[in-house]
Order: sequence, then structure tokens, then C-alpha cells
Amino acid sequence: MGRLRTITRRTFLIGSAAIAGGVVFGTYLAKRPIKNPLLTDLQDGEAAITPYVKIDANGVTLITPRADKGQGAYSMQARLIAEELDIDPASAILSPGLPGPAYYNGAVMEESVPFPAYDQSTMAETVRKFMHVPAKLFSMQMTGGSSTVPDGFVKLRMAGAIARETLKEAATLKSGIARDQLKTEDGSVVLPDGSRLAYTDLASTAASIEPITDVELRPKSDWKFLGKPMPRIDMPAKCTGTEQYGIDLVFDGMVHAAVRANPGLGAKVKSYDASVAESMRGVQKVLPINNGVAVIADNTWRAWRAADAVDIQWAAGPYPGTTDEIFSEIEKVVDSDEHRDHRQRDEGDVEAVLEEGEYFEAVYKVPYLAHAPMEPMNAIVKVTDDRCEIWTGTQIPLFVRDHAADLSGLDKDRVFVYVQAMGGSFGHKLEDTHVLQAVEIALAMKGTAVKLVWSREEDMTHDYLRPGAIAKGRGRVADGKVDAFDLSVGQSALMADWFGRLMGMTIPGPDATITTGSWDQPFAIPNYRVTGYRAPTMVPISSWRSVGASGNGFFHDSLLDELIYEAGADPLAERIRLCLDDTSRKVLEKVGEISGWDGPSISENRGRGVAFCLSFGVPAAIVTEVTHNGAGIKIDKVFVVVDVGEVLDPINLEAQVFGGVIFGMAHAMNCETTFENHAAMQDNYHAFEGMRLYQVPEFEVVALSNAKKIRGIGEPGVPPAAPSLGNAIFAATGQRIRELPFNKHIDFL
Amino acid sequence: MQITVNDTSYTIDVEPEMPLLWVLREELGITGPKYGCGIAQCGACTVHVNGYAVRSCQLAIGDLGNSSVKTIEGLGTPDSLHIVQEAWIEHQVAQCGYCQSGQIMQAASLLSTNPDPSDDQIDAAMSGNLCRCGTYPRIRAVVKAAAKKLQGS
Amino acid sequence: MKMSFLRAAFAITSLFSVTVLSAGDKVEINPPLAGSVSKEQGLEAWSRIFEVASHPRCANCHTGPSDRPMWSGPSYGKTRVHGMNIQAGNSRIGAETILCSTCHTNKSEDWSNANVTKHAAPRVAMSWALAPATAHWFGRTTQQICEQLRNPETNGDRDTLEIAEHLNHDLILHWAWAPGGNREPAPYSLQEHVNDILAWGVAGTPCPQD
Repeated sequence: MGRLRTITRRTFLIGSAAIAGGVVFGTYLAKRPIKNPLLTDLQDGEAAITPYVKIDANGVTLITPRADKGQGAYSMQARLIAEELDIDPASAILSPGLPGPAYYNGAVMEESVPFPAYDQSTMAETVRKFMHVPAKLFSMQMTGGSSTVPDGFVKLRMAGAIARETLKEAATLKSGIARDQLKTEDGSVVLPDGSRLAYTDLASTAASIEPITDVELRPKSDWKFLGKPMPRIDMPAKCTGTEQYGIDLVFDGMVHAAVRANPGLGAKVKSYDASVAESMRGVQKVLPINNGVAVIADNTWRAWRAADAVDIQWAAGPYPGTTDEIFSEIEKVVDSDEHRDHRQRDEGDVEAVLEEGEYFEAVYKVPYLAHAPMEPMNAIVKVTDDRCEIWTGTQIPLFVRDHAADLSGLDKDRVFVYVQAMGGSFGHKLEDTHVLQAVEIALAMKGTAVKLVWSREEDMTHDYLRPGAIAKGRGRVADGKVDAFDLSVGQSALMADWFGRLMGMTIPGPDATITTGSWDQPFAIPNYRVTGYRAPTMVPISSWRSVGASGNGFFHDSLLDELIYEAGADPLAERIRLCLDDTSRKVLEKVGEISGWDGPSISENRGRGVAFCLSFGVPAAIVTEVTHNGAGIKIDKVFVVVDVGEVLDPINLEAQVFGGVIFGMAHAMNCETTFENHAAMQDNYHAFEGMRLYQVPEFEVVALSNAKKIRGIGEPGVPPAAPSLGNAIFAATGQRIRELPFNKHIDFL
Repeated sequence: MQITVNDTSYTIDVEPEMPLLWVLREELGITGPKYGCGIAQCGACTVHVNGYAVRSCQLAIGDLGNSSVKTIEGLGTPDSLHIVQEAWIEHQVAQCGYCQSGQIMQAASLLSTNPDPSDDQIDAAMSGNLCRCGTYPRIRAVVKAAAKKLQGS
Repeated sequence: MKMSFLRAAFAITSLFSVTVLSAGDKVEINPPLAGSVSKEQGLEAWSRIFEVASHPRCANCHTGPSDRPMWSGPSYGKTRVHGMNIQAGNSRIGAETILCSTCHTNKSEDWSNANVTKHAAPRVAMSWALAPATAHWFGRTTQQICEQLRNPETNGDRDTLEIAEHLNHDLILHWAWAPGGNREPAPYSLQEHVNDILAWGVAGTPCPQD
């Protein structure tokens, strides 16, 4: 705890302000405090203790600024604050709050440093800390990169502790009893005689004093909520249809909008004829918007039908028209010096070793993929002369605010973004095209709330996709061991595309996502090289659950599996032998233990595959067992081991792990987004099926806690899922499938 | 047009081809049933019509006739949970939760006609309900647990 | 448990207020005079009947002992069993697990765009169901289907006139010629198909390998 105290004194500056009847504190990991966004809208009798705690007569509100897309972020953030604040998180009010720079995400930026996660040297750690500065400068309030827990683990508990100690100090002023004689419990300060002062009654007093900043975080042994199975706070609402998602919100006088934007992404509308649509029941207006046409009606279904009835002439999309043409552009860059983006791993002398004689060579391919969350993109926007209000589920509330300000001509502080619960995202809600469309429509309907809901078809044909990629793998084996490993990955640069789109800036230098999940793996191969080649930006691309590692996990582990097979070694034993990181090695050993690993063959038609990927700092190993019965593959059982350093909620962790693995396997089985005439061809779930219940294997999930740092678990289950399935299919059938989705080559039962 | 939803009668004035889903969500403000696909591929809109699961995006309101509709809101409420919902909470099934209304309505319909379904029957009955978060392992477990609970009740 | 299935099967037929006969095309049933159709003409009629029976719009739901409908034909790509693990069961309406009518809802009104939405579950003015196991067409030869159709033990105890009547009344069958949603309709027309059935009957229900 001594170390944490030091950090507290040195880096947490506390700003406090007395508001009528309340108090506000700030905790910030920087020299200059950032404005507490809760101060803006405080009413009489309310206090905002830190940007994460607000108290009024109704109770205590915990601010959970990381978006909940279904991963349980609200419950976890509330629990981190509540652990120190001594309040039942289920009885508190949870609110994502208004977005503000105070809620910047430092941890997510740490991922972009040029050090593999297992490198925790002073140099690597120093650079990671440094990444918090641009996160703050760019107001990076975003949710993603499995960063909610790593970013909030100290920050949120500190917020709870500061609020608690300050409330105790307020109780001291009221009662005359010294602070160290006071305890806190369940939303009250408890005096030595057992009497209680509710936090809600102490807020005004707390406002008048200097906040108590010299606080210690409780040791793990004292945790009441963390580390234990805790029911998710949103569970009853989600099981009774009472959870309110963005798509469910209604306002008086609200109108419903539909859009049809050019399926040639980014291209204009040449002309349109809305005469039929305009005469349809309920239609109020048809108007042009950026790259599309919008219909305003009194009901979403009527708006969609009318939008379908608009006859639109589209300009062609500004990229090659077909998937084959797109992939041939990608193929051109692989191993082309001119297009080399980075080579962050180059050990031994791969080139020399491969020139010595015969070597193994294979080409792998992963498709473009839509996010396709169950809740389609939607937003409600109301614009008046001096205000723009936005209700939407988003992972990037500050970008939404800034872009809406630009579009509406209003100052940023006149744009209010109310973040809604989300029916999934998987990265789709890192984009805001739909919100800006709604702003455009609302500008034409000033004073009226406009609800825009994308149809499923609009959603899946206007996504920012997981980039397709091609990898060439080469390698050599010697004496039953993998001796040389050379992977060249070519794809468009998704982070550069995203930054360019959302921040209007070009990010100089390499785009690490091209090889994230392959260059940074914890193996020691004598000759080991991973190179990223940048294809031009074609169809717009973005982050998809597990980002760069989603494709690279498949490339790296598939090639490794093939080389181990060439060497005649055991797939698990050779991975363990090659592993240079203790934490990762233990994960591999554990997955061998729980799966009863005794080689890739189980019986004549049954086989198992192991795969490993270190992503977002989490080593994850999977053993997948499959049966091939002649008609197709059945996935029988999946064993997963991860190490997140500290398990804060074993129940939710298990759900995130098997959910991530299913997400990875489902898309590997049967999903791809392809293009014809510049348009995405898969416009609904019939063509983008994923996994259905009957295809779901049994799961066994184990989380180890050997790692030194705490990590998030929303994404790390995804990258090793596809290769573990591919390796298992090979073990059961002898058929090595190097192209996703697998169902292009083999059927699934 | 008169329709009955969750034992309440409503008068509506809409096109006969408007899907029940959109009548529920936007004419009546009953938002438990969700829009996911509009083509019977995801099951998020599942409600009960005369006690049986129906994809409300596929049933035109003009075809409802005198049938009664029950949505997740009519199955049970946070203060008075249906046994299936109770089991769902105990098993911590939901992640984003968007498909769960439909999953629960499908499971309740299955268990009302087949109180003791086999694993294969659960996999057959519940495979029309898509979940993108991957809550499936708990769905399989919770339907069995709910069946046991219902038999004990 | 068996009772529950029966209850379900019964309930589903009364699920909606059914005004069956207002929907679908009317068919004229005018069998040719006895002796007016030669065996050759009968076989020609049969070959057209076979084109219809083996067409995906018909064969996909005539899968015999399998209780799994198929997805095949120009609008489906690679031939596969119906997605979502659908099993019609002995009830043929999915009563054991999930009713066909969960998605293939009954439409009781006759508006022209009932099946206009691409990839949605087709709807007709009766309960969607898989054909009886005896009526096994999917993947079978012309001779096999022919023998099944002319045998009262495997065709629902019908003569060809009754088969024609059945075609007239079973509105799922009408759907095959107006499937909507960019699906390819069955060849010829319902009326031509009925005429062929009648002609084939008058010719003595000849099969190609007789």
C-alpha cells in the first residue's frame, strides 16, 4: 500500500468546489486538474464528490463513464467505487454522466506502445505511462481495448476512498468525533455509539471543507465486493424487458427517421425521386443528407418503407468494386518493400536460414467482417437555436459531441451527449456516422426530437469493417523443433483510418494494428520475424472486437501450428518449450491440464487443437475438441485458460471469456462481408449467421492470477478461438484450412 | 382495430400489414420486444400469441384477429418475476441483454408445452434465437434449471 | 407429454382467425375425358409434374423421413438443411420443439406484398408445415416420386382428381408459384400443374420406367 500512497500524493490533484448545498471533488492523473463535468449541471442540494460520485437527496449516484455494451462495465465501475465508498452498488443510482475530458482513458493508449505486453521493463513501463498524456490531451474518453478495468482499477477506488474520507470528515464536523473513530457502512458514516449519519445528509457539510486526499486503498483481504461473484446490476432489467436501450427511448412530439445512404461507402447521391415515398402514410418529409436520403415519418416502420420507396441513383464507391479486386490490392503489398509499414520483430536471421534450403510456405486469409450488434445503430437528436442534445449508445461520447458541434455550428459546451445502454457493439459504436445523420436531420427539424434507427440492412451495409487481410507465412524446422518463423501480414491500416475519420488528423508512422497479435507473442524462436505491410485504405475499416489481434491471432498461431506439425513435435509441448514468458507458459500448461491433453488425436474422427494469443496483455490459451462425422464438423468441447492478474468478478469473467471465444469461432465458421458493385453483400443475419445454440460446445474456463498487472477480458478470448478451431479441424481430418470463414471449405453440423 | 396485449385492450389505427412488433414498440410503447432483423432470423422480437412463441416482426397486425398477445412485460416484472426470469437472473445469463427478451419468451413457450425438454430439444427450440454476445452456454443451462424449477413449483 | 404436443397441434390450427379461401388463386378442375390422353402424353405430363415436384419450392419441404426442411435452389446458394436447427418432428409442424408458425406466421388477409421482404419466412393463409414423411421428394428420382404419387398408400389415399383438389385447397402449395422475396417460383403455373396431374391420371398414371 505504500506505493499507492506515494502515487496518490504525487499525481492525484484534488479540485473541490462548493456548490449550493453540495461538494465536488476531482481526481486526476495529471498535473493540471480537469474540470469536473458534474459541476455544470448541479442543482441546489446536490454534491458531486469527485467526477465519479454525486450525492443529492435521492441518494448516491455513481458515475460510470465507460460505456456498457453488454460487457458489464457499469456494474464493474460501480463496484470499484463502492468498494471504497462503502455503499451497496445495487442501491446506488448508476449514470454514465455527461462526457468530459476528466474521463479520459489512459490505459487504452498504453496498447499502442512498441513493446510487447510481456515486456514490463522500466523503459516499456515509462513509455506506457507517457501514453496517458496524449489520452488526456485528445480527450480520449472512449471505451474499448479491454481497458475499463485496467484504467479504473486504481482511479475509481481512489474516487470512492476520497469521497468516503471526506464524508467522514463532514461527520466529524457535525458530531465532534475524530475521523479515525468513525467507520462507514452501507451509505452511512457510523459513529462509535452505533448511530448513523447518512451520506445524503452529509453532502452539504462535505461541500464546505477541503476534501481528504491522503487516503489509502484497502488491501485485497478487506474487499467486500471485488473478487467475489456479484450479480450484475442490470440483470433484472435485462431479464424483464425493462432495460432501456437507446432504441427504446421516446420523447413527446418525437418524429422517426430512416436513412438510405450510398452502399458505395463514402460516395454521393447522384439524384433521387421521392414522389412515391412522399405520398406514403405518415411521411412528413424526405430530405437529402450527406451521401444519402432521409425520410421523416411518424413511425420507424413507415419511415423505412418510405425510404425503400425512394428511387436513388448512387455514385460508385471510391474503392475497388469487388472483394476479389480488394484482396488483389492487399496481395500486392505483402512482401513489397515499398509498402512495408513496420517490422517490430526480427530475431536471428530469417532470410539467411530460409535461403539455406527447403522451407515451409503457406498463405492465410481472413475476410472483412461486420460488427452486427443486435441493436442496430440509432440516435435521438434534438436541436434548438442554442442547444444540441443527443441520446445514443456510444463508445466515443466526446468525439460525438465535437462532431455534432462542428455540424450544428454550436459551441461544444452547448452539445449534450447522454450515453445510453447498448445492445452490443463489438466496436461498431466507435463510429458516429449514424449520430451525425441524425444531427443533420434534426437541424432540418429544429425544436423536434428526431429518432433515427438504421434498419438491419442499413446497419450491415454501412459498417466500418474489420479489415480483410492476407498473410504469407514461411518457416523451417530442425531437429524436431521450430527453428525459423517468418510472417508477412498485409492489410489496410485500421487505426490510421479511424483516427483520420474521427480526429481529422493523419497519424504519422506505422500502424501497429497491422501486426498486433502476431509480432508481440511471447515465444523465443531462434529466427523469428514478423512484418506488417500497409495496403491502401479501401472500404472504411475500424476496430472489431480484439482489433488487430482478431486476424493476427489466426495468422500467427496457424503458422506456428503448421510448423510444429512439420517438426513432428507435440503442438502443446512445443508451444510451451518456445514460450519465454512465465505467465503465458503457465496458461499453456494449465490448458493442457484441464483438457487432459495427450496429443492432437482423440480417436479416428475426433481431434483437438490448441491455440494461444497474448492480446491486451492477457495470455489466452484454448484447446478445442471436434468430431468429424463425414457430414461435417461438430465442436464438442472448448477449454480456455486466461490470466488477467486479478479476477474482480469470476462470474462475469467466465461470461466474457466464453462469449469472446464464441464470437471468434462463430465468425470463423461462417461469416464474411464481401463486396459486389462497391456494396456489402451480407445485409442481414441470414447471410451472416454466426453460431446458433445447437452448435455451441461445452465450455470450461479457468482464470489464473499470476500476471503482475490487472487486465480486462472483453476481447482476449477472441483471437485464439479461430486458430484453435482450425487446428482441431486439422487434427480430426488432416485438412488444413488457411482461409476464413472455414465453411468455404468444410461444413459445420 | 382492437388488440389485446398483456391483458389490456388497445384501439389502434394502423395499416393491416404493419408488423405486430412495430405496433407494440411505437404505437403502444411496449419496448421489451426488440427489433433485430425484421426477417425472423434473430428472434429478439419474440412474443406469445395465444401462449405460443411468435416472431412479432413476422406477424402482420391484420392477421392477429382476436388472438391475445403477451410480451416479456406481461410474463413477469422485476417485482413479480416469472420462474423462467428468476432462473435467468440466478444464472446471470444476459450480457448486452438485447436478445434476452426473445430468448426468455421462447424458453417460456417451450417449457409450457414441453415441461421436461431434453438437451436436443432445447437446442432445437432455442436455435432460432440469435445472441451476438455469446451467452449461449448459460442459456442451455438456464432452460434446464428453469424446467426443474417449474416442475418443483 | 404427448398430450401437450397434440394440444399444441390443435391450438396452432386455431391460432388465427383463418379465412383460408379468400387467399390464393382459384383453380379450374376439368379432367380430360377418359381415354383422351395417351400414355406418351401422360408421360410428358409426368415429366412436367416432376419438374414441379423436384423444384426447390416444393421439394425443400418434402424431405421424407427426415424431419428437417431444406434450403436449396437459386435463392439459397449452397444446398443445406434449414438453418436454426429446425426440426418439424412427428407433428410435422414443430410442436415438439418450435412451431413452424413461430416464424412462418399465418396471413389471413390477401394483400399482394405478404412475402415481399427478401429472406423473411414465407407466410400463407394456413399453418406452415412439412409434408408427410411418405411424400418424399427431395433428392429422389422421377421414378421414385412417380411411384409415391400414384400409390394411395403413400399419397394420402388420393386419386388424381383428389390430388388436384388437394392442390386447390392447400395454400402452401399455391405459395410455390408466388413465393415472393426474389425466390424462384415453381415452373409452369398452378393451373398448368393441376391440368398435368389430371391428364397424367386419365393416362393411367404412367411412370417413366413402367
